[in-house]
Amino acid sequence: MTDIEYRTDPVVTEIVRNGVIAITEEMKSNLMRTAYNMIIYEALDFTVGLFTARGETISIGLGLPMFIRGMAETIKAKLEHFGTENIRPGDILLTNDAYITGSHLNHLTFSMPIFDEEKLIGFACCMAHWPDIGGTLDGITTDIYSEGLQIPIVKYQREGVVNEEIVDIIKANVRLPDRAMGDLRAQITAITTGERRYLELVGRYGKQQVADSLADIMDQSERAARARTLSIPDGVYEAESYMDDDGVSISNRIPIRVRVTVEGDEMTVDLTDVAEQVRGFYNSGITTGHACSQVAFKCITSPTDYPINDGSFRNLKAIVPPGRVISAVKPAPMRWWMTFPMTIVDTVFKALTPAIPDRTIAGHHADLVIGMLNGVNPRTNEFYIAFIGPTGGGWGAKQSEDGISATVCINDGDTHNSPAEQLEAKYPLLIENYALREDSGGAGEFRGGLGCENTVQARADLMLNAQVERMHCKPWGLNGGLDAEGNSVVLRAEGEWKEDYPNAKLLTARIKEGDAFAVRSGGGGGFGDPYSRIAEMVAQDVRQGYVSVESAKRDYGVVCDAAGNLDSSATKKLRST
Amino acid sequence: MTASKKTGGIRLAADIGGTFTDLAAFDPTSGKLLFGKTLSTPDKLINGIADGVSKAGTSFPDAELFLHGSTIAINTMLERTGARTALLITEGFRDIYEIGRVNRPDSYNLFFGKHEPLVERALRFEIQERLFAEGGVYKPLDEDQLRSTCARLQEEKVEAAAILLLHCYANPAHEIRVREIVEEELPGVFVSTSHELSQEYREFERCSTVVANAYIGPKVKGYIGEIDERIRDDGFDGSFLVVQSTGGLYDGEQAQRQCVRMLESGPAAGVIGTQALCDALGMKNAIAFDMGGTTAKAGVIHEGEALTTGSALIGGYERALPVQIAMMDIFEVGTGGGSIARVSEEGGLRVGPQSAGAQPGPACYGQGGEDPTVTDANVVLGRLSPDRFLGGEINLDVDAAAAAIDRKIGEPLGMETADAAQGILRIAVTAMSHAVKAVTTERGLDAGDFAMVAYGGAGPLHACNIAREMGIRQVIIPRSPGHFSAFGMLFSDLRYDYVRSRFVRLADADFDDLEATLSELEAEGLAEIEKVSTPPERVVISRAADMRYVGQEHSVTVDLSSDLFDKQDRAGIKERFDAVHDLRYGTCAPQERSEIVSLRVTVSGMLKKPNIEEIEGGDESPAAEAHRGKRDVRFGDQSHAADTWDRTQLIAGNRIAGPALIEEHASTTVIHPGDTATVDKLGNLVVSVEGVAS
Repeated sequence: MTDIEYRTDPVVTEIVRNGVIAITEEMKSNLMRTAYNMIIYEALDFTVGLFTARGETISIGLGLPMFIRGMAETIKAKLEHFGTENIRPGDILLTNDAYITGSHLNHLTFSMPIFDEEKLIGFACCMAHWPDIGGTLDGITTDIYSEGLQIPIVKYQREGVVNEEIVDIIKANVRLPDRAMGDLRAQITAITTGERRYLELVGRYGKQQVADSLADIMDQSERAARARTLSIPDGVYEAESYMDDDGVSISNRIPIRVRVTVEGDEMTVDLTDVAEQVRGFYNSGITTGHACSQVAFKCITSPTDYPINDGSFRNLKAIVPPGRVISAVKPAPMRWWMTFPMTIVDTVFKALTPAIPDRTIAGHHADLVIGMLNGVNPRTNEFYIAFIGPTGGGWGAKQSEDGISATVCINDGDTHNSPAEQLEAKYPLLIENYALREDSGGAGEFRGGLGCENTVQARADLMLNAQVERMHCKPWGLNGGLDAEGNSVVLRAEGEWKEDYPNAKLLTARIKEGDAFAVRSGGGGGFGDPYSRIAEMVAQDVRQGYVSVESAKRDYGVVCDAAGNLDSSATKKLRST
Repeated sequence: MTASKKTGGIRLAADIGGTFTDLAAFDPTSGKLLFGKTLSTPDKLINGIADGVSKAGTSFPDAELFLHGSTIAINTMLERTGARTALLITEGFRDIYEIGRVNRPDSYNLFFGKHEPLVERALRFEIQERLFAEGGVYKPLDEDQLRSTCARLQEEKVEAAAILLLHCYANPAHEIRVREIVEEELPGVFVSTSHELSQEYREFERCSTVVANAYIGPKVKGYIGEIDERIRDDGFDGSFLVVQSTGGLYDGEQAQRQCVRMLESGPAAGVIGTQALCDALGMKNAIAFDMGGTTAKAGVIHEGEALTTGSALIGGYERALPVQIAMMDIFEVGTGGGSIARVSEEGGLRVGPQSAGAQPGPACYGQGGEDPTVTDANVVLGRLSPDRFLGGEINLDVDAAAAAIDRKIGEPLGMETADAAQGILRIAVTAMSHAVKAVTTERGLDAGDFAMVAYGGAGPLHACNIAREMGIRQVIIPRSPGHFSAFGMLFSDLRYDYVRSRFVRLADADFDDLEATLSELEAEGLAEIEKVSTPPERVVISRAADMRYVGQEHSVTVDLSSDLFDKQDRAGIKERFDAVHDLRYGTCAPQERSEIVSLRVTVSGMLKKPNIEEIEGGDESPAAEAHRGKRDVRFGDQSHAADTWDRTQLIAGNRIAGPALIEEHASTTVIHPGDTATVDKLGNLVVSVEGVAS
């Protein structure tokens, strides 16, 4: 017999575990299919979850990994704001406070308390990205006030009655009020689904047994996390990386330094030496500082364990002093909150590589690589806000596997791009190409994944704003693997491409009818010495057009023709020099 | 594929699965249903069919219809044994098939994977042409460039070519012309265009669909041709029809071109069988529940109709290849008789999705399996008779099952053997209940209003447990539940599904224009039906539109019945859309504008149906010779002495009160204490479920 102590019947615990995963799945699919904006319904930029009465995470549906803490911290703030005793059945609590969610004002976070008769037993919660929350459309922002409507913690619904005044305030402050109300309804559908199904589960197995089962599930998650942390050699591991700039002080590189300490079955991620908060809108709140640590930790210790719950993080300590770029304080601008944290997560992997090279990964493109558009659609005469992407880029290679090409960055999970046929039917655009970028993956014994290029022609004048990072500070290789190509954004005016921009932040670009822009995502870094890559694999990469004949020769020491026919003797000779 | 117009002959249905070939036959003169089961013969599948026909005691010369479902299409795709295929695609888009939707569902796994294209990048070629979303030409087709690309295809010795051009649903002219030229330049190559399979927007999904069709095409075409030749040689001169993933039939000729439509023919036919039972029993609503060795599947009949969907993902979600064609709406979970139970390293009790498969199989098979499975739990609980499994072909080792459960579950968790077995069963049952919920509760339907028809080898064993979990009050076990897909095929109709994307706001819709599109799609279906030699009794056309609120993306399908459409009743259509949206999602917005996204037409040729024969009747008490004695069976916390019965000896009117086991060749039906099973006049076991979940 194991020495594990169970609070309740392991059979019921497993049924409850499957049950909460199914509930968050259903919340997710209901939100996705009823939402009004492409960011929710195609990009799936949202997260749903179930939480205990104290705001601990029970289960989060597959959404944005980087929002792993946002809902729990929001619920805790709401509990503190109102006091548990003042939260009533039929209430729905709302906020988009960026310093609580740790993200931006576009993330409207609704929570529904779940009551078993008069007792609060949990919360169903839903965060979703609204395409517009007011504020300035184009350009950089340097404080939160220019980013749109701030909704403090409020009761959107009080004991079953909607506060229409709040609805009116929202409608008066957003550019697309109909869409916003559609998204709002979809979010309410998601949380009421969560409430109903959770009550069914409690009705079936009893309040106490469900609570005990959840406690056992969290203990099991903790046990798994501890066992896997224990398998990492003790030590202090450090790494650094850089961001291009903050969009205000152009080309002024911003340092990211992390220190990871492993001691027995505990890990500490210290983000004290991450850069201080910046003037441009790349800041995020302390919630995201903790999320960075948790995402990296989960990737290393419990990547495929579900449900995602707070038990998995009990042996993780994150040190995040206030005022850093991932713990910014008011009135720091937060609109592109998600960009820097991705590189922090990658930097944690880089730090841990000497200790566990078989469990980490080389750097990835680490950006949404999105172009935001707005204009008037001549077909309908309606104002629109649209976006191109997420383009999907390269992921890093690993010690024994090539990197994956054309996949969303670590901020996003089950996030989808938009079909060209859909974009062209909805907006005055013509997609000229959507293609893999040859040679964009870092060379290595295992090659990094490839990035993509997406070229978009305007069929009517429009405004582009692109906030893309990591053009100069490229996705890094590990253990002798080479760096990948970085991200970029370029413009074509009257047939002439212009590519020599200082960064990939084109924040106010007017695109005339017939002109075009292209967003290009970077690749993933390589892993290991490229000269150690099996020559036939390099030749095969050349045949497929992933690697050019020139790069094969230059980076891998492999001589072959474009059809992938290997010249073994020339290769041998080249590789031995 | 058809020869003479013959009527009144026997109708044959053959369902080829991985392990067994099932045959069902209906003789309209005697009204008899005949069944035959043989092992599939993987290297020569057709031999299994011939064996099955003779086992069922019938012959090809007497047959009028030969109906066929097969796993050949899906297996060719999953096992990647298809043709050397090239993709011809609009300039600038060669990589969309590899890029896909860029999602990463396995979000925290640094070792995640994504879908693997069926065509390597070196065989994806761009064609110079481009249409606008509205269907107008932005860049004309460069035929010279296309012809030189064809020369490259020849050099590369491709066997199949898939063609995908952007916006072909708005204007298929370029795809049609590309096809003509490729066929001219590359005779003998299997050519497939996307608009012939799907006229719905979403280029990646449509691309994946047409590539899958081209990739499996040569093999499936050869297979169908071979069967046709063989059955003709054996004296068959009727119509050869193939079952599609909708459960509808299409001509063998068309099946040789549109192979991807038959991917899920077997599971779909089971739902059609359920629908046929509903018709025979006068029921409107039923859940079709199919459980085998590795998975459990649920489909639904609502208001007499089998619910279908417009697309599916083939393979697991993370690495799936999408197929954008009409399919039976079936939800699958990875729980079956072979699902393995284990205690995870952190101490959780898990059941599946790993399966013991056929080799080594469950511990009780005595083939060296050490892991306890759902079947082992059933054996330990007394629900399966060790000496009567598969008609006694396999003798189950109860001790081996108990030892495996003790070692892997009981001892680590400090549970008695029977409690551990009961726990495994409960977890499996709740997991399968999620499949049933997915097709009912999550579609806004109340499972308690449905009967559940359970089939597949393991369906009858678990059906009453699932019914208790879901509040379902009636369970029906059809005759020969192991042959149910072949049975279902006998009740299929000719069916042709069409969809075309048309983006228009309901308020601005030009109904004459919509009518023109719908009529065009209908004409295509009518022409197909005309080609089939077996004339349908009548033709039924149904029209529908995929609709959404303006600004929304995902749509719901709304029937466009003539009472609304012919009167151009916009308000009525809108109301119906609001109602469908409300049913599905629990919310709607009557004040919001709506728009049409796609038009759908289904043309069905209703074939004459067999009248299911009535079996001999008698009184409530089964005959003494049907009784096989008593066994100890565990229900909940208690052991009960349960009567066991031989199903083949039961006659209509017999009533059996639980606890009881009703055994037949390939399955056992478990009747719980408090429940009663009645044999109806068609030979079904109708179980009224009284108790609550324990």
